[in-house]
Amino acid sequence: MSLLLQVLVSGLAAGAVYGLVAIALVLVYRLTGIVYFAFGDLVGLAVFAALLVAAGTGPVTQTNVGPLRFLVAVAVGTIICIGTSAAAYWLAVHPHVARGSVVGWIAATIAIAYAVRTSIDVFFTRPSYVFPDPLPFQDVGRGGFVSVGGASIQVRAFFVIAVGSALAVLATVVLRRSKLGRGLRAIESDVEGAALSGIPVDGLIAAAFGLTGGLAALAAVVAAPSASFGVDAGSLLGVKALLAAIAVGFSSPAAGFVAGLGVGVVEAGIANFHVAGLQLGPAYHEVLPIALVLVFVAVRALATQGGVTLRET
Amino acid sequence: MAGTAALVQTRNAVVEAAHEARVGWNRRATAAVVVLALAALVPALPLDVSLDGLAADLYLGAAAVGLGMIVGLGGMPSLGHGAFVAIGAFGTALLSDRLDWPTEAALVGGVVVAAIAGAAVGTVAGFLRPALVAVVSWLIAWLVFLGLAAFPSVSGGSQGLILEEGTVVGLRLSATLHYELGVALAALALLVFVVLSRSPAGVALAAARQNRAAAEGLGAPVARLRAAVFALGAGIGGLAGGLAVYLAGVADAAAYGPLLSAKLFIAVVLGGAVAPAGGLVGVAVLAALSRLVELGGLDSVQAARVEALLVAVIVLAALGTIERGLLPSLTDWRRRRRGGEPREVAAARHEPPIVDAPASVRGRGLTKRFGSVTALEDVDLDIQAATVHALIGPNGSGKTTALAVLAGAVAPDAGTVAMSGHEPGVVRTLQATAVFPELTALENALVGARPGLGHRVARAVLATPKARADARAARAGAQSALDVVGLGAAADVRAHELPGSAQRRLMIASALATRPRVLLLDEPTAGAGYSEVDLLADLIRDLRSSGLTIVLVEHNLRLVRRVADRITVLEAGRVIADGTIDEVVENEAVLKAYLGGPRN
Repeated sequence: MSLLLQVLVSGLAAGAVYGLVAIALVLVYRLTGIVYFAFGDLVGLAVFAALLVAAGTGPVTQTNVGPLRFLVAVAVGTIICIGTSAAAYWLAVHPHVARGSVVGWIAATIAIAYAVRTSIDVFFTRPSYVFPDPLPFQDVGRGGFVSVGGASIQVRAFFVIAVGSALAVLATVVLRRSKLGRGLRAIESDVEGAALSGIPVDGLIAAAFGLTGGLAALAAVVAAPSASFGVDAGSLLGVKALLAAIAVGFSSPAAGFVAGLGVGVVEAGIANFHVAGLQLGPAYHEVLPIALVLVFVAVRALATQGGVTLRET
Repeated sequence: MAGTAALVQTRNAVVEAAHEARVGWNRRATAAVVVLALAALVPALPLDVSLDGLAADLYLGAAAVGLGMIVGLGGMPSLGHGAFVAIGAFGTALLSDRLDWPTEAALVGGVVVAAIAGAAVGTVAGFLRPALVAVVSWLIAWLVFLGLAAFPSVSGGSQGLILEEGTVVGLRLSATLHYELGVALAALALLVFVVLSRSPAGVALAAARQNRAAAEGLGAPVARLRAAVFALGAGIGGLAGGLAVYLAGVADAAAYGPLLSAKLFIAVVLGGAVAPAGGLVGVAVLAALSRLVELGGLDSVQAARVEALLVAVIVLAALGTIERGLLPSLTDWRRRRRGGEPREVAAARHEPPIVDAPASVRGRGLTKRFGSVTALEDVDLDIQAATVHALIGPNGSGKTTALAVLAGAVAPDAGTVAMSGHEPGVVRTLQATAVFPELTALENALVGARPGLGHRVARAVLATPKARADARAARAGAQSALDVVGLGAAADVRAHELPGSAQRRLMIASALATRPRVLLLDEPTAGAGYSEVDLLADLIRDLRSSGLTIVLVEHNLRLVRRVADRITVLEAGRVIADGTIDEVVENEAVLKAYLGGPRN
């Protein structure tokens, strides 16, 4: 029971960030037909930009940053993520989309991911970094952990879950209720029709990029102090989010978020799994979810000969 | 005397192959052989180059050519090619290190494992749309990378699996030998790509890239061909990986990350996915670029990181400016310079071949619903052998669904379709645009060249006598189908350069090349001019005289009146009239459906 709680809390905290990146991936796919492979790396860029503002590139202790400076850092990171993401899309990806070149946009999004990753490498040369935490979670419980029925749970995880869920709800409400959301749904169902009826297609797509990319970056920065953040953590974040998005067939942003939570919990579960002498352990926690989702996609594709959502038209 | 007979047969096969090679020889082939010979001579020249480095680039280039087949030929943008290189590399390393297999056997083992993995992935990828192929293959790249990192007992952990120097047929694998093997592997991969893309299988794949539904309608086994090409490309990648392991002396998991997959894909797109040498050119450009950037740089870790960023930005800019990749852009430019006028097409038609056993088709109680929409409701159809049977009716009356059900492309919810005789032989053309614009007229017809004939990737690659005989038969069949519709003289013209009327006849030729007994035509006159309708009417009547049974869905009543022996009128999924043209035009229900009157 206690183990289950521990798995659930740590899994949901990781999954909330996966889910927010998945929201961005699904939304962009449904609007433009492209999978923006660089999203995870761009979110990683946001985290490192924030780190640069908050603490520079040197060694960091957990507490040496004030709240104001942290807020500025979060804002800078988020804005850099939004700006780079949208600019890279319009400069490098959109030309390929416009001429209908699928291999073109795939290569461009992957090349953006690589460029972002190398630009992080220029400033941050160690393999991983500790992110300063302005909120005094260490003072709660025993060094930031509380024990519930024998399981020790990081207090910070609750905060990350709360912020992540709030951001996801915000995204969903904006997409469902606002004028922006209605315009995006019109673009989603028929781009040309939307353009003809006076909807500023390009502007709205840019806004969608900004909104979802910004939320994902925000969540990642908020979650970053929970553990050390590696230079390739952004790329991995993108992979987990893709896993969530393809598990639900890129069907809706909300489904993508829930699937992201699922990926987080399954990972945590696998890392802690031991039943009747059988133990999976941490070696499997990244590999097995990918394998499971791939098997699921394969079975679905073969059973339905591509299916309605996956089949090429 | 069986031995002598076999000898004579072999001799004939060799002579024939030599003849075909001579006929197919062109300037490009000569250029390729010259380049290959010069490349092979590099170690003998007094140049100050690192053969180790060149060999590694050549192996990478060969792997990229393998990926080029998957992307350019198969139409599957795989972001996971590095995973198959890794599987080949670690397969080879494990067989050599743990089981002490000799070098040759370990290499073959690695290739087999990589090809099997490729076949498995290709079987799924063959059904997915391109964007999702990219996602799935990217996840595979990560799966293999993370898997190798997570299980040091397999991958040797951070130090990797150390290999002893290999020997191939008794020769020590020196840097020079690795270089020559690299040249040979790259050349072999190129040859396989060229041979495959010219075979009927390659033509069918090219057609599927442009219009998958139309290619499948003509009987091309697209999913199976794609799986086979994926396995082939993965196998080539695996061989390159295995050889690279012997070259480096170590299999290190860190070298096979997703970055390798990304780099291979970018190289292929940069060089041009549809060009056989595209991958090789792309790898060469990337290698040259990073060496060029190094020339100006400082010798420090920081400088190396800035260089990497610089290369990434240059590549990104290059991808945006070169539309279809370097090699295809070069070809386009040369073609534009020569200038290409739309060619005149002679209209002389040949007699169609006689259908041995004309077939009749009977549909009983056909019902088909799509969600809440009823497309067909208890429809009976009696199509007599060697007649033209027209299906007419307002838009949305279920004509096209009826055609799809007759073709077997859509399973009815209820009812049966029966055809006289045993052999299947129904083929359906799709609406007007279902022609493959980038293929020549002959290639368009080849897509339909009797399903299965030459649609074997392995045979095509090995150019077995059977494969070459099949390819010849397929080509002859395609040519005669073009002759029947009067496009015999336009065999080498690309479809999009043909006038619209010729494109419509080309579609019929593709269908005829499957040697059908029943031909289903879906609005062959869509957008056709007045004189074209006459031409089509003549063609359809000729086809009927040859014994072909034709079902025609058509809005143009002028054509229906001229060719149809019998007419079925559908409205809202039901048959409202059935009979000869004169009977049907007298029918009140038909008048009402078409003209909205008489009202009561």
